Amino acid sequence: MSRLLEDASKKLLSQFRIPVPRGKVVATPEEARQAAQELGGAVALKALVPVGKRGKAGAVRFAASPEAAAAAAQELLKMKVYHFPVEKILVEERVNIAREIYACVTYDPLKKMPVVIASSQGGVDVEEVAATYPEKVVTKQVDPYLGLANYQAKEIWCDLGLKGDELRVATDILWRMYQCFEKYDATIVEVNPLAVTGDGKGVAAGVLMAVDDDALYRHPDLASVIQPGSDRAWRPLTDIEKYIIQVDAEDPYRGTARYTELEGGDIGFLCGGGGGSLLMFDTLRKYGGRPANYTEFGGNPPERKMYGLTKGILSKPGLKGFFLSINITNNTQVDLVAEGLLRALKDMNIDVKEFPIVIRMAGVNEPRAKELLEGAGVPYHGDDITMEDAARMMVERMRQAHPSY
Amino acid sequence: MAILADERSRIVIQGITGREASMVTRHSLDYGTPIVAGVTPGRGGDNVHGVPVYDSLKQACREHELNTAIVYVPPAFAADAALEAMDNGMKLVLIITERIPQMDVVKVLHLARSRGTVVVGPNSVGIISPRHRVKMGAIGGDNVERCFIPGPVGVISRSGGMTAECAWMAKRAGYGVSTCISIGGDPFIGSSPRDLLEMFQKDDETKGVLMFGEPGTAYEEEAADFIEAGGFTKPLIAYVAGLFMEEMPQGTVFGHAASIIQGERGKPSTKIARLRQAGAYVADTFNEIIPLLQKVLG
Repeated sequence: MSRLLEDASKKLLSQFRIPVPRGKVVATPEEARQAAQELGGAVALKALVPVGKRGKAGAVRFAASPEAAAAAAQELLKMKVYHFPVEKILVEERVNIAREIYACVTYDPLKKMPVVIASSQGGVDVEEVAATYPEKVVTKQVDPYLGLANYQAKEIWCDLGLKGDELRVATDILWRMYQCFEKYDATIVEVNPLAVTGDGKGVAAGVLMAVDDDALYRHPDLASVIQPGSDRAWRPLTDIEKYIIQVDAEDPYRGTARYTELEGGDIGFLCGGGGGSLLMFDTLRKYGGRPANYTEFGGNPPERKMYGLTKGILSKPGLKGFFLSINITNNTQVDLVAEGLLRALKDMNIDVKEFPIVIRMAGVNEPRAKELLEGAGVPYHGDDITMEDAARMMVERMRQAHPSY
Repeated sequence: MAILADERSRIVIQGITGREASMVTRHSLDYGTPIVAGVTPGRGGDNVHGVPVYDSLKQACREHELNTAIVYVPPAFAADAALEAMDNGMKLVLIITERIPQMDVVKVLHLARSRGTVVVGPNSVGIISPRHRVKMGAIGGDNVERCFIPGPVGVISRSGGMTAECAWMAKRAGYGVSTCISIGGDPFIGSSPRDLLEMFQKDDETKGVLMFGEPGTAYEEEAADFIEAGGFTKPLIAYVAGLFMEEMPQGTVFGHAASIIQGERGKPSTKIARLRQAGAYVADTFNEIIPLLQKVLG
């Protein structure tokens, strides 16, 4: 899942003829002042960061004049919104809002279907509305083959008590939102608030959108607007994270890997398997280990990917040990894993006698992996020990090598 | 009897001529699994390790009695292959392919529900029933007995690797396995642990089930509800990984795509508490699975 910034989301929605406020992306207070002038003076300023709930974080400001817009921009550009520094701001014309409602198209994880969530109360957190006034929220699953019919969109708003112009514009916008969701393989299209203006027009005032990474091949036009890796990090990507995305992209369908850098820590962490990596991270910590990163890879990576991964992980300053575990696998050639690892260790001039390394992996071509590793002075474990045993051993080695550990 | 895979399985592999599918075909045949036919458009008339290849599943069904399809087709065409399998009457469709677009998966699962077809996966490593010598998918590789020997324990895991590791832990504890299912780590999958517990309940060969749980989804909670409702009365032994994620910023994915905590949803601690409350045996550490199995199964 990759998030889009709000300006890009709004461009997509307007392709479906959903009205959005006129706006401009700026990077300096002076640009904000000019933009406000062009947009009629009174504007809204929104920090462009790939996260929701920006209003709550103080990342949405209103300004009554171009001068006030410049001042608000100056403050926003100094902010971090949920760990993301604000580098760009969307300046938008002020919408004359008569009523705020809420509309969202996403997937229902339990029913495994697309779902519409709509509320007669917008501009606030929909989960809070649902908890306090359940009658103000309607949830409706959508047949993925048939899509959302216009009359179904209408029924949803009727159930929420909308009438007249409000009913008409809300129906139209919701119906078009579903088309956008379907066309772009979105995982969420949320409009909050969906504003109805004093003269009875609908405007998608606030928009949050994310798309399915696995469907990007059908949408080459999205490549330039998505924020890659935005579901795997809570802050901008670090240099090592960017490097590992590159390493991974060189062999996209073999041994898919992800690296998340953590604050502090001193054990380089590299694990095979989505479940195995969770287990090992918990277990290392349980024994007192401090992983410096979280890196997980899928089945059967080529040698050069293992080399790149190991090198990336070991390049983080302050590492004092390295842990590699792959659960007993069905198809991974562990000799290639060993080759890549050894090449990286050599490149980084790591003395394996001083630097604690624990490896536990069992898979295809084990005898060769064992021979390669032991030949280089790195102890090898296969199915002679459990995964938990390996984690305990790692922490024991750290304590031997670093008595204060 | 086992579940999903036994000697009555008559298997077709869609995308059989691919690199991995071809290797899996050889390993499966060596193990004794009835891989009867394969399908790859444009390769009709070929064979893969002696298995005849057809251009369409319809043609394969004219020549063979088939009830199970394994999908090894690339992501862009995998959903179409699953629909082809359902339309040709397959009772079980095992989808190995990973990275299939979500909308495609949701459509396949929607149709499967209305047809009553059992879908396992996508992003599954496979299903294996050792007593019946049936393995579907890469599960077990070419060294099946290392982890999978016949016995009374059913295994359910989102992680393919942990499916093998759990079976191996059972073996270390002195038991074999009835059927092991890698259900897939994606947000949308065909068969949930609850669905499989329902099948294991009816299976004489299975005396207890070992489940590897992860953050995200409501699978563990659903399993607990199902036990409380009396749907599963055999012992369930579980381990839930990913407790550390509760200390990480919310909404971040670690491990499988479905492994995400949002608000109170998807927390391992909640899952562990719910499972224990329902009477399941939850291991505090992974090694503890061994004495737990021994205590529960005797």
